[in-house]
Amino acid sequence: MKRMTPRIPLAVIIAVLALAASIAVYAVFQWAVNVKPDKQPQIIVSVKSTEQIVDFWKVLIDGVNDAASEFDAKAKVIGPPQESEIDVQIAQLEQAIIDKPDAIVLAATDYNGLIPVAERIVAAGIKLITVDSSINSDDALSFIATDNLAAGRKAGDELSKLFDGDAKVAIMSYIQGTSTQLEREQGVRQRLEEEGRFDVIGTYYSDGLVDKAYTITKQLLTEHPDLKGIVGLNEPSTVGAGFAIKEFGLGGKVKLVGFDSSIDEVKQLEEGIIQATIVQKPYNMGYLSVKAAIEAVNGKRIEKRIDTDSVVITKSNMYTEQNQKLLFPFVGK
Amino acid sequence: MDIFKFKSIQTNIAAAIACLILLTAVLLGVMSYQLSASSVRETAQDYTAELIRQVNANIQTYITSMENISQLALNNEDVRAFVAADSSAAEDKGSKVSDYFQSIIVSRKDIASINVFGYNGRFVSDRKDAELNPNISLKEQEWYVNAKKAAGRIVVSSSHVQPVFKDEYGWVVSLSRELWSQDQRKALGVLLVDLNFSVINDTLNNIDLSKRGYVFIVDSAGNIVYHPQQQLVYSNLKTERIDEVLKQGSGSFELNEGGQRRIYTVQDTGFGWKIVGVSYTAELIANEREMQLSFVAAGIFCLLVGLLLAYFISRNVSKPIKQLQEHMKKVEKGTFNIRVPIENPKEIASLARSFNLMVVRIEELMNQVVQEQEFKRKSELSALQSQINPHFLYNTLDSIIWMAEGKKSEEVVLMTSALAKLFRASISRGQELVSIRTEIEHVANYLTIQKMRYTDKLDFHIDVEPGIMQYRTLKVLLQPLLENAIYHGIKNKVGTGEIIVSGFESEGSIWFRVSDNGVGMDGDTLRTILEPRKSDHESKGVGVVNVHERIQLYFGKEYGLFYESRPGEGTTVLVKIAVIDASFEKGGQAQ
Repeated sequence: MKRMTPRIPLAVIIAVLALAASIAVYAVFQWAVNVKPDKQPQIIVSVKSTEQIVDFWKVLIDGVNDAASEFDAKAKVIGPPQESEIDVQIAQLEQAIIDKPDAIVLAATDYNGLIPVAERIVAAGIKLITVDSSINSDDALSFIATDNLAAGRKAGDELSKLFDGDAKVAIMSYIQGTSTQLEREQGVRQRLEEEGRFDVIGTYYSDGLVDKAYTITKQLLTEHPDLKGIVGLNEPSTVGAGFAIKEFGLGGKVKLVGFDSSIDEVKQLEEGIIQATIVQKPYNMGYLSVKAAIEAVNGKRIEKRIDTDSVVITKSNMYTEQNQKLLFPFVGK
Repeated sequence: MDIFKFKSIQTNIAAAIACLILLTAVLLGVMSYQLSASSVRETAQDYTAELIRQVNANIQTYITSMENISQLALNNEDVRAFVAADSSAAEDKGSKVSDYFQSIIVSRKDIASINVFGYNGRFVSDRKDAELNPNISLKEQEWYVNAKKAAGRIVVSSSHVQPVFKDEYGWVVSLSRELWSQDQRKALGVLLVDLNFSVINDTLNNIDLSKRGYVFIVDSAGNIVYHPQQQLVYSNLKTERIDEVLKQGSGSFELNEGGQRRIYTVQDTGFGWKIVGVSYTAELIANEREMQLSFVAAGIFCLLVGLLLAYFISRNVSKPIKQLQEHMKKVEKGTFNIRVPIENPKEIASLARSFNLMVVRIEELMNQVVQEQEFKRKSELSALQSQINPHFLYNTLDSIIWMAEGKKSEEVVLMTSALAKLFRASISRGQELVSIRTEIEHVANYLTIQKMRYTDKLDFHIDVEPGIMQYRTLKVLLQPLLENAIYHGIKNKVGTGEIIVSGFESEGSIWFRVSDNGVGMDGDTLRTILEPRKSDHESKGVGVVNVHERIQLYFGKEYGLFYESRPGEGTTVLVKIAVIDASFEKGGQAQ
């Protein structure tokens, strides 16, 4: 029989053990309070352009910030000053990889040029989500954007509603080769071909510049006096075409269906130069892309493609409650 | 540790106490957590309600100031004159009115503009450079239509973009009312006061209603005046319970949506808007996790202390039981001369007392049994010792016959007389102890018979100190040794064997020595000669072993036989017994 341990006063043992227990409990408690199990996900959002920021990106960033605050994440927005500075975006993303966020939301300035860096992002274990403009690879977990083909079809549909009979129309596109441009054009052409009464004389490229769109349109209007309609595939292309139509005094006679929104477009809508414009939902893009990024970080399955939809704005519906926010996103400006 | 021994009393008590404490801790913890949580929730709700009231007060201030401004404008004669259809002369008053409007809202950033649209087509604003948007029809504007409908009463619009001014698309809240002539008989135009929506937006954006909570405003028609995620609501990515809110007066209600409970706190304003604060129930208890943790920590602490207490208390209870158990084990092993110390607690003390009594009784009984056994054994042995080997008898009688046939009457007498004495000695029962003299006589008789039987084979010599003759010895002690010496020693020897029996006192004991010069024994035999035989029929040494045992039974373990032998040289047995004088004769007790 083993004897009991030498007798130490009971009170001392209890006191010592109680002290040890309280210290342990306190330590565990402190640890548990301080180490939040679900730490804030870090998300870096790379937009296409930060300087001379266009409304589209501002609204998208609003959506990003709202989602980040709602889902308790930390979002940092980066991006090249100009949309054309692909190298800057790549360099910024390389830096972002070093920062090792949980997810990167990318609006690619180039369909192919961003593929290598996207691969490195994925290789670094960072969740990659693309927004608005995707890349020509399968690296991103999800692509959140307007269905540009559908948007193009909407534009074609609006244009076809404006004519009863045959019409000669032109497409004013922006930067040749970008994915959004291609899809929109494809949508427009598809829809017009279905009608079978349209003669599309060609696609012209404004390079995203109002002036160039204006010059080309003037030339077109001169060369093709029978031109009945133009589809502008983005904001500057539409506005530039609108200026030319206005200058030629052809407002309402040559129908113009555009994309996106701006004060200029709103004015041209009011003036009746633009008959309809297809507006995207950048706020939703920003919000949903961050939401998807957080879900991806939390290990949830996310849809490969999330369509943020587009809305047809005409003069008659532009001031409805729902459309105001899309056309005039900023309060108190 | 003993505490973890399965099914021990200590473990049982410890477990019981621990369970009790755990249960209490959990119960108290859960209850106090619920209470704290609900009080926190109430506080949070009160806070939300208070916040909403403040928002309401702020917004009300703006609206009231707009009303006041509209009142000032309406009461101005110049304004009326300017829009009166027939007073073409008052057209020049436009500039004066504009100055007046400007003076009203100077230094007020919240008011975007004050404008009067006369039904006579005249328009005046606080900003002299303001131009109307030619592409927008005034009469289609909601605020215009509603003001006309309201016929002089104030109309507050929802938030909207004001498109009526050229190149301006500001977000405003419009207050409009129809302007009537002094005699209240003719509507003259519409007064429009625009409030920069940004002031309301900023007010609401700055509200911190927990992390995910937010505030939104709907107008009486259910249009959203302000919502932090208006875009999502319009895109149906987020649903807002506008219908429920519209049904609700000031107050709050709770909705469960997708597993998330939200509390809607609604505040009616005086002009048709409803301000709604939405807070997530889970978030109201901001430090829920900490609260839960602290309760868990307290619970663990209680449990630890409880376990300790349980351990010590149970140890105190089980210690005397264990002590008792240890003593019992000793008793099991045969130690009876122990007594359990009688201690507290009472129950254990009484148990110990009983145990002690029991041990004493068992000890007594055991002693009794031992004594009885000993007595029995002694009886058996004495029966055994008194037996004269029948062969010896036959042989002796044969020898006598032969001697009688040979007419050796003298020898016949001697032998018969020796035999008779031998028998008398054996038969005399009842007395275990005899004097050494008697025993030696017995030896002499026996040896005499044997010597006569083995005429030339055996010689003997007896040499006992006369001083020890009166002491006592066991009856028929030496005869088996002699038998052994003759049958195993001398009988197998060539030539005459001699047996010397001597007796003396030394070192406080009586010693007998029986030595023969027979064949002797080898080492193995010598070693095993005193070991009890498996069977009594093993002829060799049966008597010897019995002698040894008898001596030890009577006198103790230190007495007995000691053999010395060498093959071919003979064997010597030393018999050691206690010194017992005649006074002991009747007792028969060795100790």
